Amino acid sequence: MGSVITAEGLTKAFGDTVALRDLTLEVESGEVFGYLGPNGAGKTTTLRLIMGLIRPTRGSVSVLGMDAWRDAVPIHARVGYVPGELVLYDRLTGYDHVDYLAALRGSARPARVEQLAEQLDLDLRRPARELSRGNRQKVALVLALMNEPELLVLDEPTGGLDPMVQRTVQGLILDHAAGGGAVLLSSHVLGEVQRVASRIGVLRAGRLVAVERLDDLRAKSLHHVEVQFADTVPAAILDPVPDLRDVVVDGPSLRCSAPQSSLDAVLKVVSAHPVVDFACAEAELEETFLAYYGAGETDAA
Amino acid sequence: MLRDITTKTLRDQGRAFAGWGVAIVLLVAMYVAIWPSMRDQPAMSDFIDQMPEAFRNLFATAGADMSTPVGYLQIELLSFMAPILVILYAVTAGSAAVAGEEGRRTLDLLVTAPVSRRRIVLEKTAAMVVGTVGLSALLGLALVVEGRFADMNLPVGDVAAAMLHLALLGLVFGGVALAVGCVTGQAGLSKGIAAVLAVVTYIVNGLGAMVSWLEPLQRYSPFYQYAAHDPLRHGVSWPAVVVALVTVVVLVVVAVLGFERRDVRS
Repeated sequence: MGSVITAEGLTKAFGDTVALRDLTLEVESGEVFGYLGPNGAGKTTTLRLIMGLIRPTRGSVSVLGMDAWRDAVPIHARVGYVPGELVLYDRLTGYDHVDYLAALRGSARPARVEQLAEQLDLDLRRPARELSRGNRQKVALVLALMNEPELLVLDEPTGGLDPMVQRTVQGLILDHAAGGGAVLLSSHVLGEVQRVASRIGVLRAGRLVAVERLDDLRAKSLHHVEVQFADTVPAAILDPVPDLRDVVVDGPSLRCSAPQSSLDAVLKVVSAHPVVDFACAEAELEETFLAYYGAGETDAA
Repeated sequence: MLRDITTKTLRDQGRAFAGWGVAIVLLVAMYVAIWPSMRDQPAMSDFIDQMPEAFRNLFATAGADMSTPVGYLQIELLSFMAPILVILYAVTAGSAAVAGEEGRRTLDLLVTAPVSRRRIVLEKTAAMVVGTVGLSALLGLALVVEGRFADMNLPVGDVAAAMLHLALLGLVFGGVALAVGCVTGQAGLSKGIAAVLAVVTYIVNGLGAMVSWLEPLQRYSPFYQYAAHDPLRHGVSWPAVVVALVTVVVLVVVAVLGFERRDVRS
């Protein structure tokens, strides 16, 4: 499994504003990498650097072993890209876009186009200006996927799509990775990537603050614990248990969020007192993610 | 029609072309229709002769004779209206080429395709050249054909020469808009700079013969290359063609280098 994207000390400043700071990251073939962060964290900047649309201020990023800025043309022949703020040619139909971009690659309309359009339930005969945002997004996906690229760079590709189609797109992404292709998938919500990503990176204010396997994140997944005791319990009852969050002790009732690894210790403490009611439920992965990587700065909710 | 960037760009202009074409044919028809009454009014030539020299230089080509078809067209059409039309078209095309697509954000589609930035600029330039030359040729054709109806008997070779110079004049300012747009990514700015430059060089050329400190600058005005030798009477001036071509080539090189070195705006 080779490295498809390698960023080293990648930094991009626009004037005095540093949009991306010292990004070091590898994405390997066969992998779906979820690139997460609030809007304005630097996700789109990273993707535009990878696509050679903008030039690094410092550091470098290579794609398929070539420099993203200098070797943009051979790289683009092997990469599919869906831009974040997608714009098509208003007067051109879906087929026109397909034919134009295929011609720029020196090829005829790829056979895969019809199949993709069918999977996405997309009518390619209509001009772009008549399409909804979701349908334009589908055209962009067809354009990115039609040439069977080795790498997919997708900037919030499921925004504007209904949940059914989101599933289809996720299926396409998984197929691509299963075939050995790599995917870099940005999103501001974990929910959009958690079904497909094998690893996630979390970006905040231009810095990559965490890279984690999704399985490891799941292992850390939080559980909401609610206990109703027969009598008032000491406020500091849970102090000996590590890694708890949002602990609230109010007379005879207790609430907290606990990672799986702390559940045993919580139970042992709780069971030392007479219990009236006890509830424990696993939180959404999204919530675990936000608990670890900062809810306050995320517009994910 | 979607084989490459050039044909795609020309296809985009399809409706605009039709509009320009109709405008040109009608404009020429108007001038041709007025010609017989002008011809029979010798006072018109006197009027022009009696204009202050500054006016005559600005709005008419010096030395043109209003009583001949060639002189009439030189003064009425080629001194002012035709350059405005062709420059307007070329500047619009040059500005739309890269900066216009960038402003509408469709440039991302092109730049992320396996196409070099150089090729994007060159193919867009080719579209601008085809369009500008096409409009100039249409104007020349309209002059010759419609002129027949008013017995103007225009010399075809000289009309062609004038149209060649006219197309080059347009391309110089289209090249300015292209270069500014490629370097800055700002469509409005590129049109603005090209327009201001056109007005300034027009005035420099018009007043250069009279204002001593402008005189050394006159030769550098694209309008000087366009009309100083009076192409409707004297045909092609090859030195003027070379100057205009070199200017356009330099501007296109600036456009390529500028675009190759900068970020695409988001």
